[in-house]
Amino acid sequence: MVMFENALQFIGAFVAFSIALVAYKGVRETSSSSMLRLAAAFVFLGSGFVLQGLGGIGAFNTIPGLEASLATILIAGMFLQTVGYFFLAFSHVLDVVMTRRLGPLLILFPIFAISPTSVETVLRSLSFYFILYGVLETGLSYSKNRNPNTLMIASGLGMLAAGWWVSLAAPDIGLLTLLQLLMREVGLVALFVPVLRFSFRKPGETLIAPV
Amino acid sequence: MPQYRTQGKIIADILTTARDMNTDGQGVGITTLLRRGNVSYSRMTKLLVELVGSGLLLEETLEKAYKYRLSDKGMLFLKAYIQFEDFAQSYGLKL
Repeated sequence: MVMFENALQFIGAFVAFSIALVAYKGVRETSSSSMLRLAAAFVFLGSGFVLQGLGGIGAFNTIPGLEASLATILIAGMFLQTVGYFFLAFSHVLDVVMTRRLGPLLILFPIFAISPTSVETVLRSLSFYFILYGVLETGLSYSKNRNPNTLMIASGLGMLAAGWWVSLAAPDIGLLTLLQLLMREVGLVALFVPVLRFSFRKPGETLIAPV
Repeated sequence: MPQYRTQGKIIADILTTARDMNTDGQGVGITTLLRRGNVSYSRMTKLLVELVGSGLLLEETLEKAYKYRLSDKGMLFLKAYIQFEDFAQSYGLKL
């Protein structure tokens, strides 16, 4: 189970850095601030996945001075992931503010998320609410644009959120741990689909667009 | 509900008009760009100066009227814009 979780962290890092790379190309070619926020979000997420994965396989035990601070490194990884999810939600907030819809909702979320139990639980809770907000906003976007990819991302984020929720609600129950890992795996694969579509697009396929 | 358009979207709309409405190969006039681009005259003139300056549009004078054509650089920008717009839309974002 631990090995599967660590493998998931590295798959997550691969997916996140792939999305960040495409988004960064978008920043360079279109100077879009949305793409910059998307790239930043997935760089943070990928870095968090890498730190957690390396911590999980004990890579830091071989580096002198780091073996004692494994817990700090794992929490740093979790923090980076939370920042990544925040940036994902933040991208949506800017869209929301521009259309004056549900912006204040995000401000309310962390109030409910703060838990006195531990830093890790707080970070997990925040991540969960940020993803949930992303699901809500992506779902609203789908209701407008009817783009099947948007539905795919909303479903992927939904699976990630469900995985986080299971991990928060039942952190140490074997079958549920496996279930939440599978949910997060499916969610990550769904997030990767637009990257695949972008990478394998035929040249000139999108040149005809309505004004 | 009115749809908010980003600066990039407005530029893409202008470039798309310059590409699609240039049926006679002599370029598109500012009236056509205004009608299809749906922006004010003062904003359009500023945008056209920027787009010509950055090489995305080519400006030509024909019978005392300015005409605009999409340049090769503009075509590449438009292609990239449309691809990344689809990518951003996948994540529920506007480019």
